[in-house]
Amino acid sequence: MKLLKPQFLSVVWRPALAGRRGGWLQRPRGPPAPCRALSASWGLRKEASQPSGGSAEGLDLGAWKAVARSEARGGASPEAGGQEGEPSPLQASRELVEMWRQAGKLVPEHLAEDELRAFGELPTKSARKKYLKYLAIKEGHKKARKEKKQHRASERAAEISSRDPETEEEPSGGRLRNTFLLQFWQRSVDALYNWRAAQAMQFGQPLVFDMSYDQHMSRREVENTVSQLLECEGWNRRSADPFHLYFCHLRPGSAYLQELARRYGPAWERLLVTATEQPHVDLFPRDRLVYLTADSPHILRAFDHNKVYIVGAMVDRSIQTGLSLANAKRLKLATARLPLDEYLQWEIGAKNLTLDQVMRILLTMKDTGKWEEALRFVPSRKHDGFFEAQRQTQQCGRSGASFNKQRTFVRQEAFQPRARAAFKGSKSGETASRAKTKKSWWEED
Amino acid sequence: MGSLLFSYTRTNARSICTLLSHSRPLVFLHPSVRSPVDTGAPRVRCSSTRERNKFPGSYRNSGTKWKDFPSREKPPSSVFEAGTAKRTAELLKRKEGKHLAEGPEEPRRPKENDIPSRPLTAAEWKNRKESAGAPQRFEVKMMEKMLAAGSAIDVAQSLLGYVATETGTVSYELLLRYLTLCVHGNHQAEVFDLYDIMRHRFKTLDTGAYSLFIKGFSRTERWRECLLLLESTKKVVTPSPRNYGDAIWGAVQHGESTTAWELYEEMVGTGLSPNQETWQTLFDSGFSGQGNESKLQSILLHMRDNQIYPGEALAKSIRAWFESLPGNRWEGSWATVETSVCRSCRARLESIQLSEEEYRQLKDRVMSDVIQGRDVFTKTTPQELESFMSFVKKRPPFDVVIDGLNVANTSSKGNQAKTLLAVVSELASQGLRVLVLGRKHMLKNSRSWDRSHMVLIQQKADCFFTENISEDDPFLLYAALHSGNHCRFVSRDLMRDHKACLPDSSARRLFFKWQRGHQLVLNNFLPGQRIRFQEIPSYDTIVQTHESSWHIPYDVEGLERCSYEVPKQWLCLRRKY
Repeated sequence: MKLLKPQFLSVVWRPALAGRRGGWLQRPRGPPAPCRALSASWGLRKEASQPSGGSAEGLDLGAWKAVARSEARGGASPEAGGQEGEPSPLQASRELVEMWRQAGKLVPEHLAEDELRAFGELPTKSARKKYLKYLAIKEGHKKARKEKKQHRASERAAEISSRDPETEEEPSGGRLRNTFLLQFWQRSVDALYNWRAAQAMQFGQPLVFDMSYDQHMSRREVENTVSQLLECEGWNRRSADPFHLYFCHLRPGSAYLQELARRYGPAWERLLVTATEQPHVDLFPRDRLVYLTADSPHILRAFDHNKVYIVGAMVDRSIQTGLSLANAKRLKLATARLPLDEYLQWEIGAKNLTLDQVMRILLTMKDTGKWEEALRFVPSRKHDGFFEAQRQTQQCGRSGASFNKQRTFVRQEAFQPRARAAFKGSKSGETASRAKTKKSWWEED
Repeated sequence: MGSLLFSYTRTNARSICTLLSHSRPLVFLHPSVRSPVDTGAPRVRCSSTRERNKFPGSYRNSGTKWKDFPSREKPPSSVFEAGTAKRTAELLKRKEGKHLAEGPEEPRRPKENDIPSRPLTAAEWKNRKESAGAPQRFEVKMMEKMLAAGSAIDVAQSLLGYVATETGTVSYELLLRYLTLCVHGNHQAEVFDLYDIMRHRFKTLDTGAYSLFIKGFSRTERWRECLLLLESTKKVVTPSPRNYGDAIWGAVQHGESTTAWELYEEMVGTGLSPNQETWQTLFDSGFSGQGNESKLQSILLHMRDNQIYPGEALAKSIRAWFESLPGNRWEGSWATVETSVCRSCRARLESIQLSEEEYRQLKDRVMSDVIQGRDVFTKTTPQELESFMSFVKKRPPFDVVIDGLNVANTSSKGNQAKTLLAVVSELASQGLRVLVLGRKHMLKNSRSWDRSHMVLIQQKADCFFTENISEDDPFLLYAALHSGNHCRFVSRDLMRDHKACLPDSSARRLFFKWQRGHQLVLNNFLPGQRIRFQEIPSYDTIVQTHESSWHIPYDVEGLERCSYEVPKQWLCLRRKY
């Protein structure tokens, strides 16, 4: 492979290298340069150990090392001081994270002091990696949001500056417009919502969130739960006929309360919900209580306006089955689950829904009493449409017994293979394909 | 046939009938008769009774062993045997037929022409980069492709040269990839150079770089620096078993047995589980001497305690080490085990029965962790538990506990109650005391739960029905454990979720051992057919020693073994006199 002669190469390479890195950078075989002494020992060693090296190939394969080393010298001065003392564990883990970032792993760019401490306290390597990944994703979202904001601000600034001359006159014209309403501010909307919520506090149907699960959840899970609770409260406030929300079992000093206070801020004190330390069984007569849990054997057929429904305020990222059912059993309460299987062709995912989804389903049921409408809030990725959709295409009557019969027929057809799959356990592949043929049959219909 | 013992005339008549109808030797003992082999478990008729009778060693003559089965579908002797799950999955797939016709997915390979075969000049690299899809990460991607293809390092060096001239710097990520390439290609001089460069340029390195350097250095005369690198890794994270393994390998290669053993002990001390390769290194090292002998044997005991089975390669190393021991000559052979006797040396293996102490421990753990757990209400209610406890206490110990719902659903054809009745009457006819566990809904007359069948079941056996929302498996386990060591249970459930309730691994191993020794698994069963249970091994599959012999079960290469299965191949080592 002696295609290129060294002399020729030196012509090709030297300008490129010299131009970038200054005169000190030399090929090992080149004429000695003034700065050579700095890397002499290494250059010599390399030449000795790898005589074949680059020259045999006609290419200088070791040149990059000089470049890499030169940077070592550049960064040597801070590094010399750093290696004197033993770095503290926190400092060491910060450095580790930095090196992981340089190695191309998914870790955040900046780590706050408390995040670093939380990182150090994690017991296993995989837990640490997961935490860093979570922080990195969070950081990425934050950065994207910031960029978007900046982008929008600059766009707006450009827009304003471009139409500056004409807008001088416009506001004066606009201000004099004849209107029977002042601008309808959000403030007024809030007042309306608060009025409704206050009404609900007096006369509304209670809906209880059971907040007794804080020992069963990790910090992340509690944070997620509280996010969902915030959303629940928001949906409830905006609905036409809100529930009277109860946060029961809310012990002072519990993780829930801390997180709620943090998220709501001063608004937490003014919130139109009943937050109480008392358990729900003390507030309401037992026979009115119904605990909603996905593990329940009973199906919620219809929404009862006289019942008090209880929802467990819990996010379960680990596997803790039957926790809320156990709670209901202990208190000897009636339980129920949403009729998901009855109305939806379930595909994937757990049957437990997020709190805000349950909230919206209940609100819709309260308003309309129609499951078809309420179950629209089940995430669409989890199911493959409503059973009643097929019913409508089959032109069957929409009332009474025939309607029901039709539905059960549809259910049996669709569910038999699946039921058998659960029964036999390991035949999932077979039945899945069978179910698929069934599904295509439905679609064609 | 001298072992046929009848105590009751009732059993007598029935047994003779079965004898006549099946015309094959049967052995079954009444519970009052203790068999000499195991600690008094009543023999439930298994499909393998025939094999038990045979003199060990006469296996080869039994060519017609599975006469009534097509050869490829011969039933496994136990669900816990290595490869059973795989075989079942394949069988199901075959039944599936054309639905799963598509072949195994071809792994995506990098296109050959992507990677240059010779070092390129800067201009050529530039061209390539410009024509590439994602120019931002071109270098790193290219380096990864080279690594995947295992190309020569001079190509990578030319890429680095190009990057250095183009950008004036080489990123850490790229250096790390190059380091990987060097370590995998075993280019020691390059590893040293890189170490120097990276040490000078970066204040610390990440764990990946440390691991690579440990691996790279362990092969060279600078292997002692591995220990320093290991120390720096320890400052931030626990080194992986592989890191330790590489360092140990380095020490072994350079004849430093004390260092190797210190590292090994440190690793085990931190709770890490060593790799099989590490053990193999230690066995291959051939350090002779009394101290090392006991240390290597302690590895085997570690495997025993943690129920780890060596792979085939490690088993070969172990055998070679034993055979190379000076003085007392050891002889090794590959063997299988039949009816608790090693085919090779005729030694009897350890019994699968738990000791008194272990048994008591397991019983307590099942009660406290599986049934009660964190909250009694998750599986049952205190009232139900109370009534069950008094139910069990009032009755004399059972011989067989049946998981009613599981057994009833064994056969897809036929009535569920009928299936259950068939199994119950078969077991009751053997003179066994039977307990059937079920749920209350079974008592309600329905198409699948015919009341007349249920009444018959209740006549033949004791029954306990739990609430419909309670779990019946924990009760099954407790009843079986409460009845004593001889009691077995019938279920096809592998009980993995209940095993998972046990918090520590030693309790889980105990549970698994008990399960293998006491679970009767119904073979495929159709109504009207004879009921056959899978064989229960009478020996424990675990690394074991007995004065002058070692028996080590090992995993055959290429055979996939599920976590709940045990290997069936053994390494038999014995001392020659």
